[in-house]
Amino acid sequence: MATTSKKAARPNPHTAVSNQPHETESTIKKAVTVPPSEGTNPKTVKPGPGGAEAVPGFKLPKEAASLEEVYKAPETTSLRDIAEASFGPPPPEEETVHGFDDRVKITTTTVYPWRAHASLLITAADNSQWIGTGWFIGPHTLATAGHVVFIKGSGVPGRDGWVKRIQVMAGRNGASLPFGSVTSTNFRSVTGWTTSSGGDENYDYGAIILPTQLGNTTGWFGLAVYSDAEIRGAVGNISGYPGDKPSGTQWYDARKIDSVNSRKVFYDIDTAGGQSGSAVYRIVNGNRYAFAVHAYGGASTNSGTRIVTPVFNNFVAWKA
Amino acid sequence: MANKISGVVLDAAGHPVAQARVYVVKAPGPAPDVAVLTGPDGRFALGAARSGTYEIACSTDHAGTASATVVVGAHDAVVELRLS
Repeated sequence: MATTSKKAARPNPHTAVSNQPHETESTIKKAVTVPPSEGTNPKTVKPGPGGAEAVPGFKLPKEAASLEEVYKAPETTSLRDIAEASFGPPPPEEETVHGFDDRVKITTTTVYPWRAHASLLITAADNSQWIGTGWFIGPHTLATAGHVVFIKGSGVPGRDGWVKRIQVMAGRNGASLPFGSVTSTNFRSVTGWTTSSGGDENYDYGAIILPTQLGNTTGWFGLAVYSDAEIRGAVGNISGYPGDKPSGTQWYDARKIDSVNSRKVFYDIDTAGGQSGSAVYRIVNGNRYAFAVHAYGGASTNSGTRIVTPVFNNFVAWKA
Repeated sequence: MANKISGVVLDAAGHPVAQARVYVVKAPGPAPDVAVLTGPDGRFALGAARSGTYEIACSTDHAGTASATVVVGAHDAVVELRLS
């Protein structure tokens, strides 16, 4: 009997297919980049030493040797969590601020690069509201986490799926909105996130398309596909809008990247709920290039979705 | 359906607090780094993809902060966060 095969229907015309082979170090011979823009009258902050931003009160932490002291904790290994009585031994706990909280507040949010970050007020399908972070990659496009634009595994009926709308507040500083507020109902992600069971964190990235060209004013980040070795040796910078700080205030931290795999980047840069979607970026010759999208808290490190070639290509397509 | 942590945020006098920011501080696995805002009735719900112990916290601009440790097992966890 003759058989025919059917192509799988695309789940949504907004989704991009992202089923490319995993990127490996050997496939990235040289960094692939698109340049940033500093927008109009940027008054750009000159970067600080060591690959971090120059922010009053911030000092790039010393690395490995001193971290043993930083993370020295009381001896509690003999104590068991009460949860074990019901559920057995747990996996390692995961948290978002590790040791000392190194984050510093950004007050000059009207200048580049701080103004290229945006505070997001997200309204989900069930009308619940959330906060997150996005960053400009072009005149009308912000990159963010996939779970910011498409909710998975919430456990709440009517919540999962594309969010209803996102209010984008670029360069927000508390109650001050120096670039106003733009609401978007136009989002992008990839099937690796939207159709996976519970959401596959390896594909957790997306974008917000604005009905205006605000990015021409704020400027945007460059994008880069780096090799494993380049990422391992880099200082990662993250700025965003965490929920544990006063509403709508922007906070920054930076630290050397811990590790990288084919789809994710791991780091000890402090974050808190609300910073999902932030850029993880490097400063190269004075220019800012994002190489991951912050998305998760982790045991001793936080993590973001690595910008590998398929991610890079989608972001470039979405910023057109 | 996935499990969740649901609850209510109350001020020191026991009144529900709207627009409080509730987020995961510790989790048994990678946790999305978002924060949910409480509704007009002070209620919220966060997804809890894995069984285990979670620490959640909430922050407000004028009513204080609170945190709690909850265990998510076969069923949802319910928690009351009292600001101080």
